[in-house]
Amino acid sequence: MKRTIEVLNELEKEGVFYRYAIGGAMGAIFYTEPFLTFDLDVFVVLPQAAGGLLSLVPIYNALHARDYEQKENECVVIEGIPVQFLPAYNALVEEALDHAQQIMYENVPARVLRSEYLVAIALQTGRSKDRERVRILLEQAQLDMNLLADILKRHQLEEKWKQWTE
Amino acid sequence: MTPELAKIFAAKEERRHKLASLPFPEKVQAVIQLQEMAATILRSRGKTVRPWSTSSPRRVFDRIGV
Repeated sequence: MKRTIEVLNELEKEGVFYRYAIGGAMGAIFYTEPFLTFDLDVFVVLPQAAGGLLSLVPIYNALHARDYEQKENECVVIEGIPVQFLPAYNALVEEALDHAQQIMYENVPARVLRSEYLVAIALQTGRSKDRERVRILLEQAQLDMNLLADILKRHQLEEKWKQWTE
Repeated sequence: MTPELAKIFAAKEERRHKLASLPFPEKVQAVIQLQEMAATILRSRGKTVRPWSTSSPRRVFDRIGV
């Protein structure tokens, strides 16, 4: 995974995307016990293309130039790890990327979404596995409950939070 | 709940917290170990999965005694 992160850092440095952070299951695992997942979800802030459209194509092209090929399920296997790139698709994800925390992975800098934003994104996504993710983060991550309350309020997720936690 | 059962649940809880407090690279190795364990079952059900390939040592669960 170290080499995978190095490739992500290179792409960011080259301006293929402005900023990235690990999210999804692996983001959650940073704060919790390990559980089964097969993808590495990487959220990215993309440069806006002509016409205002956000496209992952420049990422795939940059990876193709490095001999990493896109697979059928939209993942690109980078150094043995299938990476799923997800553009910042709404205000919550954009904010989560802005506030992602810097970590070191075997002396390589990386970013991981903060646990409070992982909870909020899981609530917003709303699948059964997201519900399980919220439960485990609530149990094992040391959440800043004031920050979480603020995020949930600003992104209209308080009702969902009540439904899932009461 | 019997005392034996309470002891088992407490040990499970302790193990989960021990795993949660591992350094991130160790957790990644544990995930790969889980992928390898799950892959055999999933393949027998006709699902194609590929555990991550890295050169680092795995066996995290063995090392921490779980």
